[in-house]
Amino acid sequence: MKYLIFFIGSLAVALIIFLALTFSFEPGKTGELHLEEPIVVVVKATVEGQPMNFWTVVTQGINEAAKEFGVDVIITGPDHERQIDRQVNIINRTIEDEPPLIILAASDFYLLAESVSVAAEKGIPVITMDSGVNSTHPISFIATNNVEAGIKAGEEISRLLPEQDTLSIAIVSHIRETATAIEREAGVRQALEDRTIAGTWFCENDEKIAYDNTMEILKNPSIRGIVALNEIVTLGVVIAIEESGASSRVCVVGFDNAPQELAYLEQGILKATVVQRPYNMGYMSIKTAVEYLKGEKVKPIIDTGSVLITAENMFQREYQELLFPVND
Amino acid sequence: MRRIFGRLGTLESRFYLIFTLLFFTTILTMQIISTRFTISSVRNATLENNRLLVDELVEQIDTYVESMESISKAVIEDIDVQAFLMDSDSDSKTILEERFASYIRARDDISAIVLFRQNGGAISGDGTDPAVFSDYRSTEWYMNALLAEGKTVASTAYVQNLVPGNYSWVVSLSTQILSPDDNRTLGVLLVDLKFNRIKELCESLVIGEKGYDFIIDSDGNYVFHPSQQLIYSNLKQEPITDLLPLLSDERPLLKKDGRNYLTARSSRTGWYVVSVSLDSDLVTGWPYVQLMNALIGLVLFLIVGLVTNFITKGITRPLRQLQTVMQSVDTGEFRKAGNLDATDEIQELAREYDLMVGRIGELMEENVREQELKRKSDLKVLQAQINPHFLYNTLDSIIWMGEMDKSDEVVKMTSALSRLFRISISKGRELIPLRDELEHVRSYLTIQEMRYKNKFRYLIDIPENLMDSTILKITLQPLVENAIYHGIRNVNYEGLIEIGGSTENHDLVLTVRDNGEGMDADKLAALLNTNQHGTGIRNVHERIRLYFGPEYGLSYKSNVGKGTLITIRIPDERSILS
Repeated sequence: MKYLIFFIGSLAVALIIFLALTFSFEPGKTGELHLEEPIVVVVKATVEGQPMNFWTVVTQGINEAAKEFGVDVIITGPDHERQIDRQVNIINRTIEDEPPLIILAASDFYLLAESVSVAAEKGIPVITMDSGVNSTHPISFIATNNVEAGIKAGEEISRLLPEQDTLSIAIVSHIRETATAIEREAGVRQALEDRTIAGTWFCENDEKIAYDNTMEILKNPSIRGIVALNEIVTLGVVIAIEESGASSRVCVVGFDNAPQELAYLEQGILKATVVQRPYNMGYMSIKTAVEYLKGEKVKPIIDTGSVLITAENMFQREYQELLFPVND
Repeated sequence: MRRIFGRLGTLESRFYLIFTLLFFTTILTMQIISTRFTISSVRNATLENNRLLVDELVEQIDTYVESMESISKAVIEDIDVQAFLMDSDSDSKTILEERFASYIRARDDISAIVLFRQNGGAISGDGTDPAVFSDYRSTEWYMNALLAEGKTVASTAYVQNLVPGNYSWVVSLSTQILSPDDNRTLGVLLVDLKFNRIKELCESLVIGEKGYDFIIDSDGNYVFHPSQQLIYSNLKQEPITDLLPLLSDERPLLKKDGRNYLTARSSRTGWYVVSVSLDSDLVTGWPYVQLMNALIGLVLFLIVGLVTNFITKGITRPLRQLQTVMQSVDTGEFRKAGNLDATDEIQELAREYDLMVGRIGELMEENVREQELKRKSDLKVLQAQINPHFLYNTLDSIIWMGEMDKSDEVVKMTSALSRLFRISISKGRELIPLRDELEHVRSYLTIQEMRYKNKFRYLIDIPENLMDSTILKITLQPLVENAIYHGIRNVNYEGLIEIGGSTENHDLVLTVRDNGEGMDADKLAALLNTNQHGTGIRNVHERIRLYFGPEYGLSYKSNVGKGTLITIRIPDERSILS
């Protein structure tokens, strides 16, 4: 019967309109991202370390952003930064699970490139954080501009040391093939073009090796400045300087902001430290991931910035959260 | 609109469409309004509730700070403290250090208690060498304490760096100690509260999944913010400039970008606690509410649909019935609608229609009756055409024969005339047996034969079995009359009139033939069309056609000098009857 069809037809249309309105009309929840699977973040090191440990703070930033944007995040990675093989294994396993997106802080510029290509083949977007990889696949790279950070360190040591040709400066780096180390060293060397650089010492991201290297370096009397390229190396260097009583002779400019480093900074053994913004890095990596997954355009490179901290500015209000852990 | 409705031609579908659209729009609008209203009232109720939470938070902070202030007060009023400040007595210093230490031990949320003497020297609870307290006079807490003149001042959260290598987040309560005698500054007492306690308080009372609290001072500077690093890096912003003018309100509330900023003032510290809640967190069951509303709307719509259907049917069913009845007019059948189960208007319509149809029926019957009457009267008129000349000529002949004493002939002619008239009357019947008609024409011929002596002969040759056939009366006489006057009278030889009959396809065919002078085509045509000459013949033709239909009547054949043949064709009533 014609009217019955008409009747049922209009009911069906009404149902569709009601349902469409129901599910499209959600005030306040517009533009939320809903993911089936969590985003996976592969960091360089996961061992719970010092309260101001770089990766701990990155994690705080990640968690803050995850809460704000309403996404689930899994943070994984090897125990220590030097376990490159383990990180490769971890990312390969992660790719098999096909997460919506992977955020990677690569421990090695070359060795992780292949895994990133595999992820790209599988259609999993990759964002690199802190240290990049030798690949064009990552959709965005969120990191401290390490060259610029290196320049800040180089310029500071240049300012600290009166210009004398005979004085030379040593660079103590953490790992040979990590992008951060390469770039920071490049930045330091760029700032110190007109100075004598005695050389670069590598120490496999180990405080003891850094200490030993420093003792070695101090045997050269012309060395008046040391630039240490990360937190662990800086501590090794500074401890060696303190023990050998060379703090009046050798200026040290380091990186990062472990609590001991700050104590050394206040004491004057460490003259300055270039501090990254790990919290922002973690936050921005998730924010960028969410923007990308929502289909928005993301910047290929996001610089989270760095700050040169000295004994003079370390207690300024705006740097306090950056330098000191709030959780006691 | 017209085009859409044009497709939906029936009243029923139009009704249905209009009702459906109307009710759907109405229900939907009401649903949206009611949902909005529900959401907004739920939100407002939740906000009111949340305000209680914020007040509670401020209360807790105040209570907490108050308890700390009471410690400050206790310290300041301590006689030993007064003594220490007046003059350096090493005894009281040791006692005070011990006493401060016990305060710190008792309250694990106190980070440090330090008493600074105006003219040098300090006492701290954790036994730190006073020498390390170097440039405290330039710190904010110290200067603020001097400005407050004896009142306890709370600082913002910051990293205390009085002791090198020992960095902790604190809120400092500092109080200037004045001499009771001459209002001279004796020193400043610093009580550092571990900031964690306040942070925990702020984090424990948040609203919704994504809500958070932050604290600002009256100038809009942050005392605490859970994402302070993002704030300083400009990755996150709070609408401080919008909030500041609202702070003097009794119950400040800022709504911006789907966020609610509830603000309450802590009277002890002068801080403003801002509790941020997201609209999406406030009403969490929103999709459920929507779904329920949609279902209710759908059920309503269903009911309305059924009712509309019912009402529409009620209106259109009698109309359809009426329509069916009216369509019967097409077939010439005048049916009446009778009593319909319908509204007054439609009943009235049906009644008027029935009246009209009834009237039409009556009119049509009347029309038929009148036609019949008219036809009959026409027939009568046509029959009454027996030539009066013939009558008085015949009577003259009778008179003449009477005078001549030809009594036999008088009798013969008079009796023939008498038969002629008797048959022509025939008790008013139209149809008479062929036998009678022949008798009639024979009587006529008898009279004419006597009048035109030896002028002509006649011959009637009709099979006996046709004698009972019926025929319109006075059919043959005018033809014979015509044969005499226009055929035979003017010839100088003896005329012959032959009347024959036969049946042909159930029709009765009679012929009247004469051997007179005949007619040419013009005269024949005149015979059929004018009244002048062949009035009688024409009348016969018309009467036959009127009575039996246009396929019957007369036909003629004539040759000049040879005679005329007239053929009569009428239905053989006898065969029809049998």
